[in-house]
Amino acid sequence: MSQVSSQTLADASERKGLFSRLVDAFPFRWWMALPLILLLGIFVLYPLGFSFYLSLTEYKLTNRSLDFIGFEQYRRVLTDGDFTESLKITLTFVVAAVLIELVLGLVLALALQKQKFARNITRALLFTPMFLAPVAVGLVFRFLLNQQLGLLPNALAVFGWQVDFFSPNMALWSMVLIDVWQWTPFMVLLMLSGLESMPKSPFEAARVDGASFFLTFRTLTLPMLAPVLIVALVIRVLESSKLFEYVFVITNGGPGGTTESLQFIMYQTGIRFFRLAEASAMAFVFLLVLAVPIIWMLRQAKET
Amino acid sequence: MSGLRHTKDAPGAKPTLIAETGRLLLILFAVTSVLVPLLWIGFAAFRTPMDLTNPGSFTINPTLENMREVAKGDIPGASYRSFLVGGITTIIGLVVGSMAGYSISRFKTGGVALRFAILFPTIIPPTVLAFPLLALALQINISDSLFAVIAAHLTIVVPMITWFMTGFFAGVPREIEEQAAIDGLGPFRTFFQVVIPNVLPGLGASALLAFMLSWNELFYALVLAPGDSQTLPVAISAFNTFQGVKLGPMSAALLLTVTPVIFLSFFIQKRLVQGLGASGVKG
Repeated sequence: MSQVSSQTLADASERKGLFSRLVDAFPFRWWMALPLILLLGIFVLYPLGFSFYLSLTEYKLTNRSLDFIGFEQYRRVLTDGDFTESLKITLTFVVAAVLIELVLGLVLALALQKQKFARNITRALLFTPMFLAPVAVGLVFRFLLNQQLGLLPNALAVFGWQVDFFSPNMALWSMVLIDVWQWTPFMVLLMLSGLESMPKSPFEAARVDGASFFLTFRTLTLPMLAPVLIVALVIRVLESSKLFEYVFVITNGGPGGTTESLQFIMYQTGIRFFRLAEASAMAFVFLLVLAVPIIWMLRQAKET
Repeated sequence: MSGLRHTKDAPGAKPTLIAETGRLLLILFAVTSVLVPLLWIGFAAFRTPMDLTNPGSFTINPTLENMREVAKGDIPGASYRSFLVGGITTIIGLVVGSMAGYSISRFKTGGVALRFAILFPTIIPPTVLAFPLLALALQINISDSLFAVIAAHLTIVVPMITWFMTGFFAGVPREIEEQAAIDGLGPFRTFFQVVIPNVLPGLGASALLAFMLSWNELFYALVLAPGDSQTLPVAISAFNTFQGVKLGPMSAALLLTVTPVIFLSFFIQKRLVQGLGASGVKG
């Protein structure tokens, strides 16, 4: 019996075509991951390397020279005041927007957790902004906050309050306002899912002991929510640092350059002024700055 | 009112009447803040230019003039291209992402390195990849075509799907694969015929979210296809030079852009929470 079966097995393996022998050459799990690895290699790793090489040349859209010139572009970017100014503007925006979103998101998540009436429809409505195209949201608010034609300035004027949302002093804060409108829902979504996955019994014990809301919040809710808070914080810092759409469709960097975010000046330099090499150098400096929150997140992820 | 009745069941300290009123007011304020801008645009899309330039008024003489003007312009073509880019990106993304997600979920393939490589393109600012992709597209003469945009969108869509599906596959019991192996199915057929049907809801949610990511994306599309092949976000960004008279068509175009997304978002919210939870965001 066993001789027969081993004989048929040997026959079978001899009859195997090139295809199945190829399949056997790699373990199944690597075959499954192969499309992803190829895709990342071709569309991410290769362009990434090419981008770094671009930043070491004088490549322009009008004159596509790939001659190596060393770190000249980096020296230009770092000594040019525009880039550092833009870095400051972006940092201000990120810190303000993310802090407001974090606090507002937490408060709203706590409020929504207890909401029983019209629960699902309330949540669905409140989550809506984060699904919309940022460029559309930018245009909506350009209209809404417009001094002559907008709803909000006209509503405020009824109370005798004259506000120009796109004045040099206000424009960046209006960008913050729009970001808060669109992305606080994301914070709420993450925190709500964190809150609702918590065990119930510690909270019941706290209630039986008559602990106040703030004591419960400080000693139970906040520590248990910390991992979610960290993830939400890092995602929002990374995302909001890419500020581009609102600026592009509302202020175009103005007035007086007060809303020139990093992403915007890179677009300006690379596409509008054709200096793709210099823009690539900016992108790598920016990436280096972003490495700080990324590494921090990886450390936190390891600890939890 | 029924909100008040039920709060006793909620965990935490018993709320006072003042706290409860404050809570309801806060939610009311949030709902209003979300709704007013959206309704205002929906309202504006059907108003005449005369009514629109008079901000103090709420008069409306319902008109389809704005819609008609949008229909004549670039918007329908751009919507079609966005639909095409979103569709192709999503289909490729589902195949590549679910295969890799399964491999990572079951066999920890690639370890930390692969997980980082997946997150990397979604973390970095799009300028890092957009500029070299443009230079490469110019080199092989595919700039201002949808190929370049699809390639760029794959770099954000595929990681998202992989990440989500890794979580959803973790919820599939291993017994079904063991049973399939006993029945004599090979690993590939087990995956496509046995495992995939178990994660269809997750796959559907990932597909919708992937499509929305692509549909909404501006930067890559703006850099790689600014001309004849522009996608919907690029086309509507042209309204950034609006004059008073353009407000109506702009509102109509915005309404057309956001309505399908709002509709789709209602379908995936529950799954989204689940997906985020499953893939370890909850810590």
